[in-house]
Amino acid sequence: MNNLKEALIYVVIALLIWGVVSIFSPSKGLVVGTVTYDGFAKAIKIIIAVFIIIGLIQVWVSPQTLSKILGKEAGWKGLLLASTIPIFIGGSLFTIFPLLKTLREKGASIASVMAFITAWGGKAPLLPLEIAFLGWKFAILRISFIIPFAIVMGLLSEFILEKWEHPEEVR
Amino acid sequence: MDVGSIYLIVAFGLLILSAFKDIEKTKKALKVTSKVTLTVLPVLFLIFILMGIIEAFVSKEIIATWLGSGSGVLSIVIGEIVGCVALIEPAVVFPFAGFLHKSGANYGTVLGFIMTAILIGIATLPLELKLFGKRFTLVRNLLTFVLVFIIGIIFKVVHL
Repeated sequence: MNNLKEALIYVVIALLIWGVVSIFSPSKGLVVGTVTYDGFAKAIKIIIAVFIIIGLIQVWVSPQTLSKILGKEAGWKGLLLASTIPIFIGGSLFTIFPLLKTLREKGASIASVMAFITAWGGKAPLLPLEIAFLGWKFAILRISFIIPFAIVMGLLSEFILEKWEHPEEVR
Repeated sequence: MDVGSIYLIVAFGLLILSAFKDIEKTKKALKVTSKVTLTVLPVLFLIFILMGIIEAFVSKEIIATWLGSGSGVLSIVIGEIVGCVALIEPAVVFPFAGFLHKSGANYGTVLGFIMTAILIGIATLPLELKLFGKRFTLVRNLLTFVLVFIIGIIFKVVHL
């Protein structure tokens, strides 16, 4: 079980760091423990939900279907979809990354994946919070920049990565 | 009801639907779920411990003093760097960004901080590397940094 071994390594490293801090300063060790607990407590529901959805995508969505929506053949429509829909999705990078890994394996293009991550940074669900702390002008301006940002990000990163991987083809 | 609960209800609803349609496929789906969990959860544990370390050793006031002082274009870059290493939740990003603005940081710096805090993170780096590889991670993080800088300049110039 290679997976299990790797999992164990991460846990041991984390415990070691926490242990050392706690020995030198128990109060700081307590802060570390609280942050870790809060982090899990806040994220655990979304994590479980997203991982269940990942499993379901894996067995129900065929690669052909997905690449029609987010693959290279989807063209502009796919990129536009990937640059808008994620603005309304919550969660954190921890949950978004595994989801996109699954979509990528199923045939989503690099441009779609990159645009998806960027657009997700729009964070529309947190809009009330943003308006409250930074004003509605700032919030509107920031959100309106997200879609072009995501499109440019998708196209540019796909171009760079493809050139990097096949230097002789793109010339 | 919180967002997490809504997600959970949707996920379990889909799972039940899936089980009614095809129990074998659903079993396979759950196997995938447990594999992903085993891959991601330990990394997450390490990430949260590191977040705790920063919380314990770097005070918010110190960060605010760093960011509040600069005014040139460089201040955007500083905002971005702080956003990259600030291991905070998206939900905390905005209240903290408001605090930064009150402490004297300009809107370009605040935008740089917000976008990198959400999109780039030394905390999520191990997971990104593991799932997508070195090239993808390097290109995504560098390009995001550069594009956020450009948007930051616009935010700095525009009067809000």
